[in-house]
Amino acid sequence: MHEFFLWIETSAFSVWMRESLSMFAFPGILTAHTIGMGLVAGINALVDLRIMGILPQVPLIEMRRFFPVMWFGFWLNAISGVALLIGYPTKALTNPLFYVKLVFIAIAVILLRSIQRRVFTVEHPVVESEKRLAAWSILCWAGTIASGRFLAYTYSKLTSLDH
Amino acid sequence: MEAFQPWLVDTLRSAKPVGQLMRTHWAWPICETLHFFGLSLLIGAIGVFDLRLIGIGQKIPLAALHRVIPWGIGGYVLNMATGAMFLMAEPDQYIYNPSFHFKILFMMVAGLNVLAFYSVVFWKVRALPPGVSTPLSAKLIGAVSLMMWIGVIIAGRLLTFYRPGVCMTAALSFPFYCVPQ
Repeated sequence: MHEFFLWIETSAFSVWMRESLSMFAFPGILTAHTIGMGLVAGINALVDLRIMGILPQVPLIEMRRFFPVMWFGFWLNAISGVALLIGYPTKALTNPLFYVKLVFIAIAVILLRSIQRRVFTVEHPVVESEKRLAAWSILCWAGTIASGRFLAYTYSKLTSLDH
Repeated sequence: MEAFQPWLVDTLRSAKPVGQLMRTHWAWPICETLHFFGLSLLIGAIGVFDLRLIGIGQKIPLAALHRVIPWGIGGYVLNMATGAMFLMAEPDQYIYNPSFHFKILFMMVAGLNVLAFYSVVFWKVRALPPGVSTPLSAKLIGAVSLMMWIGVIIAGRLLTFYRPGVCMTAALSFPFYCVPQ
């Protein structure tokens, strides 16, 4: 693994991510990751809360109009997340919490696709099982945010370069 | 301003128990996590309402969607509370930070925008039947709100790259930043 981390960390993009003093390198990509977080977790949580019963007068099926913005946030974070990972592969991949975050994201995406398929294709009154999916969806996004935030405080090795 | 900033730093620092609490092992990351929950709730609620004002999801009755606002206020209150904790724990890191000044500026414009919405636009759009396009004034207010909250996120996230002290001497300004040690 050490050689693999070194190979990434000596690549031009990885060096640029870590060492460039441009606002568009690490700070800008981290900021994009935060904006994407607000869009994907925020809009998905609102849809989940609507499924669970808030805003009963809002036609649920029409909330699908906001899905493109939500998925834009998701892909923004997939791309910015990979860029951050290329910048600091050792930091992320040697921290068990990073894998916890990935599992939360994977479950959140499976739940979201399941909710889109079950709730948003044919209009019908919300059933109990769909409310359960929505509740788990909120928990998974909360878990993603919490584990992501704690990554900055729990890593054991920043890079493989100094060894 | 030269007398106001040191006074503000001293006043905020006088909340000693908050500073002590925030320097315990996990307090800071826990508050940051709650700050991110609040951010997401605010964007999910206020951002979706802004998108509706701009013209997305026009079949949703505006009056019905307006009930989402208390959820956005919930996120705002959570973030004011956790934000105040950061501020009282390390006041000089914010009061002298240019990124924090921009964050406050964006929040003030967002606040004035809310006033403009409720004093002029809300009464015009509240009873609009679903499917009818919102007037230009509503679209503008929605766009300003969305831009200001994204501006708040940008300035908030960049705070750490414009820390006073180390970064003042580095003589770097946008689009360059300094790396605090």
